[in-house]
Amino acid sequence: MSDSEDTTPITAPDDIEMQREAERLEGPVREAAALAKKLGLDPYPVNYWIVDYDEMNELIAYGGFQQRYPHWRWGMTYDRQQKQGQFLGGKAFEIVNNDNPAHAFLQISNSLADQKAVITHVEAHSDFFANNEWFGMFTDDPDAAARLARHGETIEEYMQDTDIERAEVEKWIDHILCLEDNIDQHQPYTPLSPDDESSDLDTEEVADELGDLELSEEVRQEVFDDEWLEARREDDDASTFPEEPERDILAFLRKHGRQYDPDAEKAVEMEEWQKEILEILRTEAYYFAPQKMTKVMNEGWASYWESLMMADENFADGNEFITYADHMSKVLGSGGLNPYSLGLQLWKFVENTANRRHVVEELLCIEGITWRNFHDTVDFEAVLSVLEPDDLVASVDPDELDAIDPSDPRIDAEALEAARDGEIDLDAYPWKIFTYEGMCERHYSLTKPENRGFISRISMEELEQISRYMFDDSKYESIEEALSEVDYSVGWDRMREIRESHNDVTFLDEFLTQEFVDEHNYFTYEYMQSSGDYRATSTDYQDVKKKLMLQFTNFGKPTIVVSDGNYRNRNELLLEHRYNGVSLDLEQAKDTLERVFELWGRPVALRTIVKEYDDHDLEVARRRDREPEPTEQGLEIRYNGKEFRREDLEWAEVEHLAATDIDYDTKPEEWLA
Amino acid sequence: MGLRDDIERYKEVGENRRQDLSEFIQYGDLGQSRRDEVRIPIKIIDLPEFEYDRRDMGGVGQGEDGTPQPGDPVGDPEPGDEDGEDGDPGEEGGEHEYYEMDPEEFAQELDEQLGLDLDPKGKKVVEEKEGDYTDLTRTGPTGTLDFERLFKKGLKRKLAMDFDEEYVRAALRIDGWGPARVFEWARSQENLPVSRAWIENAYEELPRDERGIYADLEEMEEEVERSSTAQRIRRDGVDEVPFRREDERYRYPEIIEEREKNVVVVNIRDVSGSMRQKKRELVERTFTPLDWYLQGKYDNAEFVYIAHDADAWEVDREEFFGIRSGGGTRISSAYELAAEILDEEFPFSDWNRYVFAAGDSENSSNDTEEKVIPLMEEIDANLHAYVETQPSGNAINATHAEEVQQHFGDSDDVAVAYVSSPEDVTDAIYEILSTEENNE
Repeated sequence: MSDSEDTTPITAPDDIEMQREAERLEGPVREAAALAKKLGLDPYPVNYWIVDYDEMNELIAYGGFQQRYPHWRWGMTYDRQQKQGQFLGGKAFEIVNNDNPAHAFLQISNSLADQKAVITHVEAHSDFFANNEWFGMFTDDPDAAARLARHGETIEEYMQDTDIERAEVEKWIDHILCLEDNIDQHQPYTPLSPDDESSDLDTEEVADELGDLELSEEVRQEVFDDEWLEARREDDDASTFPEEPERDILAFLRKHGRQYDPDAEKAVEMEEWQKEILEILRTEAYYFAPQKMTKVMNEGWASYWESLMMADENFADGNEFITYADHMSKVLGSGGLNPYSLGLQLWKFVENTANRRHVVEELLCIEGITWRNFHDTVDFEAVLSVLEPDDLVASVDPDELDAIDPSDPRIDAEALEAARDGEIDLDAYPWKIFTYEGMCERHYSLTKPENRGFISRISMEELEQISRYMFDDSKYESIEEALSEVDYSVGWDRMREIRESHNDVTFLDEFLTQEFVDEHNYFTYEYMQSSGDYRATSTDYQDVKKKLMLQFTNFGKPTIVVSDGNYRNRNELLLEHRYNGVSLDLEQAKDTLERVFELWGRPVALRTIVKEYDDHDLEVARRRDREPEPTEQGLEIRYNGKEFRREDLEWAEVEHLAATDIDYDTKPEEWLA
Repeated sequence: MGLRDDIERYKEVGENRRQDLSEFIQYGDLGQSRRDEVRIPIKIIDLPEFEYDRRDMGGVGQGEDGTPQPGDPVGDPEPGDEDGEDGDPGEEGGEHEYYEMDPEEFAQELDEQLGLDLDPKGKKVVEEKEGDYTDLTRTGPTGTLDFERLFKKGLKRKLAMDFDEEYVRAALRIDGWGPARVFEWARSQENLPVSRAWIENAYEELPRDERGIYADLEEMEEEVERSSTAQRIRRDGVDEVPFRREDERYRYPEIIEEREKNVVVVNIRDVSGSMRQKKRELVERTFTPLDWYLQGKYDNAEFVYIAHDADAWEVDREEFFGIRSGGGTRISSAYELAAEILDEEFPFSDWNRYVFAAGDSENSSNDTEEKVIPLMEEIDANLHAYVETQPSGNAINATHAEEVQQHFGDSDDVAVAYVSSPEDVTDAIYEILSTEENNE
């Protein structure tokens, strides 16, 4: 146990202090990994790097990687990070990147307690990266650091290429980044090779060439009239593509896009470098997507295990504990909607619910206890005292090791042996003599002080639901008998299952309950047209869930799809906004359309539905303190490279865009005018 | 490439998006800047994306103590959730970022924009000299030992230990009092810092027959007069002052940096009743960039702000542009005060001097001709300028600017500029600065 053969996974620059810090953290790093394993986690190995404050800021700016492509955006984040650091005292806590091995960074100026907190947090993140299926959507072996470094080199080479204007490359990157969330993150990532291109016979080219012939309009009309062109277009297989609306706008642009040549005033083929950069950035968008899709879960997961290791397993020494607790309250209590705290609360709720369900299933098998009389019949204090973890696991007395039975499934016999020989420091690492099973009981959630009312709070509805699938409901005679075989690992087993298959949207959808919303004071708010400010609207969990879903579905962004790559039969691009009742930010949408134009080379259009408020209605609403009812109106915005044109559309043309089954509005009915 | 490069590029991108400098001077919000940091609003440079309308989206909050009930106002969504309420949602850059430049950069920028290149004249070089030996340290060469301090400390100690020896000796002469009794009396009743050993010693030295001459304490107290410490020192002098190592202090010289103080800018403003809001703003728009410019050009800049109506007084910069008073106008009052301050604190041999005045050209009769113009001639300066701010064109009695201009003509150290709207500001600045540029 003491001397591992592996080289230490901590790297520090050749500097005496950095080296000393690395040495100091060797123990905590090794023990945190061992503890994580003991708790049932299965992380990628983690390489730790000791860095100074400036390097930390730099890593934050570059999204956790040491080598990225050159871009002003990193400079901007760095600048902000530094300014913020000046106000916040430079507390930057953890960075870990999704890679195998994962890389994590420890800032030299952190206190030992903070370093330990970071290390335990990181181990749990790494477990999440390794085991959540959404991360597998990109690839099972992200090879991220090397991949991103390669991307950086490629783009840097293009920038240094004397035939290519650096400013052009930078602008191109900017255009693409505006669409980085417009990918199909629910599909596995499939790379596009440079010759992945539809050979769309381009009718527009014919039209262009006709134009170039400088025939007079009359001759052109005579010989090649529009009907002829139209007929050509209809013959063209590619005339209606994509067959199904395409969510991966970047892929679509990569395959069918052009660049606009301002001198020739027309679309021309993309250069090789343009295609390559587009694909590189699309790859990176897919690589980072799972992290964006699992933020609540992942941060909650890491906070959960961090807190368990640090506080419950005393990974922090007594005197470190205050700063640790301080750090926790800073991270979790920063007000507003905080993914760390939402995630942590949800995971604890999942754990408690799974444990409770198991216990309740057993209790309902006691003769005389039914879901109807459950609350009145069950002696909850008795239940808790039976559930209370055995002394064997609750505490470890290094002087009483002889009394421990090595064959107990909760005891790690080998470790016990070693401890008896004095090879394990049980004062510091009592957990070492337990098996996973032992740890489950040691940290059983339902008997913790804050959860002692949890079993009795179960709703009739849930009881009824549980009992519906039970057959033998008189197996036991007493609480003791019913709970004698209780499985303490149900909670953690369930948590690991969930961390494998869920993302934030499904996680929130499945586990957010009224009980949870009430317990944690969540509420929704809306902007009021009548009063011109934001008002709380609901504390109903369905509403809270709706709003959270809106915030987390599709990265919290509206869904935009390519609907037609041959719009108006002129190879224009038609995008459609799938309207879910929440309007687009139109000004930003216009700015983004300008960028799309650069990647399509030809006119681009966007269809959406907007809400319009009648001035009179607004006035009346204000006076009566009621919310006005907007009219929904189809709208097309078209950009041809020079100007925008807005056109109202008939409802029939946008009807298919309007989702009828969801309503994200949480304003109470009676507030409406 | 790398971090430096990316920061550089960010600055460049930011710079391209910052407000044009002349536009900023003419119409921008000058109030966000400080004297040593010019802050020019830039449009936020985040890239656009397809996003939801912020207001239409609503959101979820978490109550801290209890949950807000439906209908309770909840304030604007957390900062960080994009821009808050102000600005139209989605208007690119509802949020304000600032492009920060220091005055040097500002001066350079302005030079480029106005085609100027003022070459600052250095008047004094930086030098470092030793000032008075007023700072203290615990060790040093014997020559720098602060003996006065050592003596005083010693004396203090001495005084603390001093007591009226004669009085104690007298107590030893009381009948029946031995050293033990005297010691007890001296320490507990008289609070004298006397040691047991000293008393015993004194007792030994006391001739036998002198013991017991006083019948009791009362008698002794009647016979013997006490003396105070001060009296005793005056009488006997201080023979032994106990010097202690720990009281030694050595003096070393205070280092005084003589920095290259080379520009002083005097800003004079008419604050009389006729100077209404608009005029005041125009003065601020003209003076503030001039201040930045000169500060950027010189290593060290000092500013003097003088407000005047019929009288003049010096004010802080914070107040300068806001003051309004009632009285009449006598511009010469300000120049008199300026002359006084400049003479006293900023000799022309050491300082580049700029004297800028602004007002609406109204002055008491004959003041301009009889007093102001002679004063302007008398006060040595690199440049005198008068800025007339008259939003509504000329008023009948407002002839100060004209008179000054007529008198000095195309002189290369007196500039007169007219500002009737923000558009004129950059021209006025150019007029003023180019006047000096030509007087090489």
